[in-house]
Amino acid sequence: MHLTAYLGLLFALLACLFLAGFAALAAWRDQENGLVVLERGFLVPTFLVTLSSAVLTAALAAKDFSFLYIYEHVDRVLSTFYTFSAFWAGREGSLLFWSLSMMLMGAIFAFSPGYRSLAPRTRLWFWLFFLPVQAFFLLLLSCWSNPFVEVVPAPADGQGLNPLLQNPGMIFHPPLLFLGYAGFAIPACAALASAIAAEPGSWIKACRNWNLLSWIFLSAGIILGGWWSYMELGWGGYWAWDPVENASLIPWFSATAFLHTAIIESRRGALSRTNVLLMVLTFLLCVFGTYLVRSGVIESLHAFGEGGVGSPLLLFMIVSGVVAVLAVLIGEKPVYRSLSDMWSRQGLLLVTSWFFLALGLVVAMATMWPVISKLWSATTVGLGEDFYNRVCVPLLAVVVLLFSICPWLDWKVGLRERRGPLLTLAAFVLALAGFAAGGVTKPVALVAAAGSVSAMTTCVLLFVFVPAMRRTRQSWGTYAVHLAVGLMALGIAFSGPYKVEREVVLAPGQSADLSGYTLTFEKSEQEKTPAVSLVRAILHVTRDGKPVGTLTPERRLYLHFPQPFAEASIIPGLGDELYATLLGFTSETSVSLKVSVNPLVNWVWIGGTLLCLAPLLLLRRRNGGREA
Amino acid sequence: MTRTKSNKIVYLVALFLFLGGLGWLVLSGISEDSVYFLNVSEALALEPAKREQARLFGSVDAADLRADAQSLGVSFNLLDKFDHSKSIRVNYRGAVPDTFKPGAEVIVEGRFDKADGAFTANTLITKCPSKYKKKSEEAQG
Repeated sequence: MHLTAYLGLLFALLACLFLAGFAALAAWRDQENGLVVLERGFLVPTFLVTLSSAVLTAALAAKDFSFLYIYEHVDRVLSTFYTFSAFWAGREGSLLFWSLSMMLMGAIFAFSPGYRSLAPRTRLWFWLFFLPVQAFFLLLLSCWSNPFVEVVPAPADGQGLNPLLQNPGMIFHPPLLFLGYAGFAIPACAALASAIAAEPGSWIKACRNWNLLSWIFLSAGIILGGWWSYMELGWGGYWAWDPVENASLIPWFSATAFLHTAIIESRRGALSRTNVLLMVLTFLLCVFGTYLVRSGVIESLHAFGEGGVGSPLLLFMIVSGVVAVLAVLIGEKPVYRSLSDMWSRQGLLLVTSWFFLALGLVVAMATMWPVISKLWSATTVGLGEDFYNRVCVPLLAVVVLLFSICPWLDWKVGLRERRGPLLTLAAFVLALAGFAAGGVTKPVALVAAAGSVSAMTTCVLLFVFVPAMRRTRQSWGTYAVHLAVGLMALGIAFSGPYKVEREVVLAPGQSADLSGYTLTFEKSEQEKTPAVSLVRAILHVTRDGKPVGTLTPERRLYLHFPQPFAEASIIPGLGDELYATLLGFTSETSVSLKVSVNPLVNWVWIGGTLLCLAPLLLLRRRNGGREA
Repeated sequence: MTRTKSNKIVYLVALFLFLGGLGWLVLSGISEDSVYFLNVSEALALEPAKREQARLFGSVDAADLRADAQSLGVSFNLLDKFDHSKSIRVNYRGAVPDTFKPGAEVIVEGRFDKADGAFTANTLITKCPSKYKKKSEEAQG
């Protein structure tokens, strides 16, 4: 089975290379009838990779420890649910998942109306770009990161899945990210193809749904990752600016910038070369993210290990970057359309995308700073969490302010409506005064919080003052996304700087005070199953004598893992959320705990959910109406 | 025609202002929030006067590890990853992570004590014991 699966990958690699050669020949000779061969032919490697993935899945189901990969990530007591999630728990499996997603998406794209709407020449060039990308991933899988290495003799039991990964958030977080990464490959290749084949702009319409879906997957992956970090890691926060987290955020920023500049191209026909480059950049940044966490170039909290994929990934990024720039330069220069006035919706959209790009650049630069600073400094200098907060929060504050104004502007110049912006301004000033009176003193946090209120006001007022908008699915989708961003910004502006946290040691019967709440430790209890044994502390929480709820943080000891893991407990709330982690026992009966009150933190998750669902309204069947 | 021209200028001025503001933000951030990222041996090689705020990478020595049971915290020797003869004493107050144990790879952030050269950490993070790591550990031996 090991060999069959490996040969599947190897033959898929050969098939991709052969087809890429065929595509090059057909593009060279302008033989458009070669397309049928490419479209049908691509099903061969797709089938082979699917077959290999099926072998891995079946082996996981059977817990066949003769697969090194399965031996390293699964053990006998692991539940079926988590056993399947081991598919993407390690480097080899996750790369296979990425490759499989790209192959399947490519096969679906080849039979989609969007693909049919492209000119035949563009389609030829699409394959010429898409196939080598596939071949590269298959090369990684068959040389440096083979998931089908056999262990002889097969061990009796595996090493088990890291308990931190045994959380529902972690089942869906990695595959969502990889689906997002994989999804961007298609529009990126289509963008380059249309630049070369002189068919500017059409790829944006053809790939619109691919872009939106990939963006949804990526956003959902990032948000779930934050939620997992908050619920499972027990440190009480959701974002630590760790390189691993930043790796997925950087392409998100460039994808978001692209979504905004793409509107300018479809409405006004400008910026077409910029869009091609942004699209390719987004896909390459996905690869860069993988490079960042898999190459060991940066010291991270997560040690992912090298495994030799670093240099090939770096080489791939450089070559693709050069190819992309050349393609745009060689490609026919599109008919030049000038931008409208700056004081227009289009102008501010462009400025917004500058901000997103700047955010991506800042995060990328700060993450790489330990490497960059080596160029002139003998000792490595890095940038801490403070740097990110100092630079990114003001930029994000301006983004929400821009959004508060932008929808009130006309496409060409000036305001399209007077009452709306005035009321938005009033909402902003009121929120500013209200938050300031409520004790928000940090100026940037104050502006960001008030800005998110005015942004949400804008979303609501638009539907009041512009009745036409109520009738299109498009505007519901668009403004629901922005409302979600406003909710998230509000949640972040409060839950970050205004969190109250304490570490306490309590004996049974003792209590501790935490920003108006009283936490009383009642007792601890024990529980034991074959896979895990745990102790649980029971804390009763009251406020002004009234019961609020019970916190039950746990410490769990998993089979095959020597050290205990903390399981955080929360009392959820739309205002304050209480959060507790059991750190350990300081004596027979007394416990040490980390407790915190996180204000408005749930709005981050509520906004985040809306952020991922609302764009579904924007998906569109082909032959749909005008772009809005 | 003049319209397009003046438009272009407006965009260029805006871009210039934007880049200026961004540059200022980034530079002030770099000058204020730079932290040395050092291995133990690198930190020891640094002149004592230059030792200040830093993030140290190393592993926990089994010998002379004192955990304070009553008030949360731990004192230990941080060993260099490659050269185990080099170490720095680290004093840390606060919650000790679950995965903290002798031999664990840890990251500490804080500053050097001018008097005795020990390191006072305000954060202590153990590396995520991710499964991704297994291979490289074996490879390094």
